[in-house]
Amino acid sequence: MVGEELVGLTPEMIEASQAGMKAIGAAIAVGSTGLASAAAEMAIGSAAVGATAENKDVFGLVLLLTVIPETIVIFGLVVALLLIF
Amino acid sequence: MLSPEQMSRVLIAAPKDVMEPVISELHRQRLFHIEDFVENDEEEYAGYRIGVPLEGAKEISKDLLRLRSVTGAFSLRAEDLDPSGKIRKSQLTAQIEQELPGIEMEVEELLSRRTELENHVKELEQKIEALTPFSEMRADLALLHGYRTLAVFAGYLSKKVDIGVPCEEYYSESKKGNFLVAVVPVEYRQEVERKLLDAQFQTVPVPDESGPAKERISVYNVQIETDRKDLEEIATQLDALKSQYSEFLIACDELLSIDAQKAEVPLRFATTDHAFIADGWVPSHTLSSLTDGINAVSGGRAFVAKLPIQKERDVVPVEYDNINFAKPTQFLMDIYSRPKYTELDPTLIVAIVFPIFFGLILGDVGYGALLLVASFGLRKLLKGSDGKMLLDIMRNASISSIFFGILFSEIFGFKLPWAPILPSRHLNIGGEGGHGPAIPELMIMCVWIGIIHITAGRILGILNHARRAQGGAFDIEEASEHHGNQRSHHVRAMLANLGWIMVMWGILVMIWSAFPMPLMPDLTGFAPLVMGLTLPLIIGILLVVPGVVFIFRESALELVELPTILSHVLSYARLVGVGVSSVAIAMVINFITIGLIIEPQLENLTIFGAIIIAVGVIVWIIGQILNTILGMIGGGLQSLRLQYVEFFTKFYKGGGKKYSPFGEIRRFTED
Repeated sequence: MVGEELVGLTPEMIEASQAGMKAIGAAIAVGSTGLASAAAEMAIGSAAVGATAENKDVFGLVLLLTVIPETIVIFGLVVALLLIF
Repeated sequence: MLSPEQMSRVLIAAPKDVMEPVISELHRQRLFHIEDFVENDEEEYAGYRIGVPLEGAKEISKDLLRLRSVTGAFSLRAEDLDPSGKIRKSQLTAQIEQELPGIEMEVEELLSRRTELENHVKELEQKIEALTPFSEMRADLALLHGYRTLAVFAGYLSKKVDIGVPCEEYYSESKKGNFLVAVVPVEYRQEVERKLLDAQFQTVPVPDESGPAKERISVYNVQIETDRKDLEEIATQLDALKSQYSEFLIACDELLSIDAQKAEVPLRFATTDHAFIADGWVPSHTLSSLTDGINAVSGGRAFVAKLPIQKERDVVPVEYDNINFAKPTQFLMDIYSRPKYTELDPTLIVAIVFPIFFGLILGDVGYGALLLVASFGLRKLLKGSDGKMLLDIMRNASISSIFFGILFSEIFGFKLPWAPILPSRHLNIGGEGGHGPAIPELMIMCVWIGIIHITAGRILGILNHARRAQGGAFDIEEASEHHGNQRSHHVRAMLANLGWIMVMWGILVMIWSAFPMPLMPDLTGFAPLVMGLTLPLIIGILLVVPGVVFIFRESALELVELPTILSHVLSYARLVGVGVSSVAIAMVINFITIGLIIEPQLENLTIFGAIIIAVGVIVWIIGQILNTILGMIGGGLQSLRLQYVEFFTKFYKGGGKKYSPFGEIRRFTED
């Protein structure tokens, strides 16, 4: 069955579709981790701005807290770059 | 370098009759950071009270308040003004007495006239608003009020209704709604009200005016017009006054603020009936000049003593001590937090590393040159020391960007005539760019940068604790068993930092022994020694295990943080990620504008084609400017984040108190 379906494909087409799959995989890796980071940073960020407005000295600390979830998207980016190149 | 300015605690005691000259001298020298005296019940403070302001403080404050109302009206700020010269204090004092009241009166008069006119205009506008619904009705408005036997209805309704009682009515339809004015005998009032209610009637109050509404509106409009002209006149008068007196007013403000500061500073001193004591800090190397100055003005009647620093109780104010190159970076340090007195001050390291990271992200000769020009061009707009520091940081960063642009062979996303010296970041967009970027090499390069940066952070952590174990920057011996405890704590902390380095490098060696990677040592070829373990693997394990033990000894909770070794090192991949995305945007802009818009038109040029080419050029310019701004924000913030999060968390706490000496830099006046 599977063999029959592949009959019409040339090696170039298979290669191209593999490249496409890789690109989709990379897109999912960056996109979904980006959304996850954004969702996490949304709440922290708004609280951080509030805290900074109350007391400017906590800026360094709240910046740290805000960027902690950024690690997620960095991992996604690493995976995506390694997938494509 | 790498540590803050050394401070000395100083106590100044003197009889009250030399208080004024001593205060003036302290203000002039601008070295003495005052510790506020707080009245308390402790034995050593018995008999001391907070001082009272010098004579004339009240008058100065009053004058200053009046002056500030004028400068406030002009929205004058000293930072926006460049002094043309300094006015002598005596001359200015005379001028303040003669000229200032006149100016103040003139400005106040203009301001009150302005408020009056503005209120009048508002009133008229409200009247016009009330009249507008009636504007299409020709009848005299006087006919609509003042009846005993008639009821007047005016308002909007959804559809025309038949009132069904004897009445006079006016009805009009417009976009705003259907407007109805009806005058009915009083006895039908309730009946009409009910009917109108069904048609969703919204009452509009009948204005208390006479004559047709349209006429009244135009009368009011004429009045508003005259008021507006008067307001403009006042604005030009105020502007004229502002440009004529702004420097004088700012100079007055400076003089009076300084006088007020001096007059109120005894509130921070401890006093007895006949003497006062000022407690505070000075940078140690300036101590002698402070002492000499005070002795000179008090005729030797003041007593200046250096006190030992008590580590447990004293919070030492912190002043940076950096070479000129690193000074602008203090701005970035203060955003995070000023170092504590006992801490290493990493300003110099940040001053070197921040531009390098910025250049690695935005490595493009074109963008670097644009930012360099901007950092000089903006100097006219951004005044004040913070703005200047920021522009200096931007200048250093853009020079680094040009340097890395040469290494990456990039200018506005195009290639320079040579091959990239660092791994290529050129993408394969629109069939150009060859093999695409050398992502694995770039990644490994960034991982190396991360490893070195983090190791440096940990080494600084060891040095920090070593300093503190020896008593830190304090120039006194602490003799207590507490000290011994502290010492062993610091030793544990030093070992923990070493443990983190060992774990990181151990994991690295283990990875090297398992996978060959570009730009990294290949340790895969070793034969197994014991139990199938190769030599590098054994070395890795020998580094990781004691490392974990060191970390555990300081705090078991820290072990939870072990995965951050991986995430922090990989975090440096943002140098590639953000950098390549910036290159990608530049190349897409180039491809769309040049490849798709401009080049096809050049093949056979027509007038229409020339217009399209012009559009293409404009799109290119806008796109590149946008990408420059994006690159600056991205490069700046990401580079800063790597300092704050990945680097500082390894050794830096911050939270030092800012050294703010009593006194002010005089810009417009002199004694």
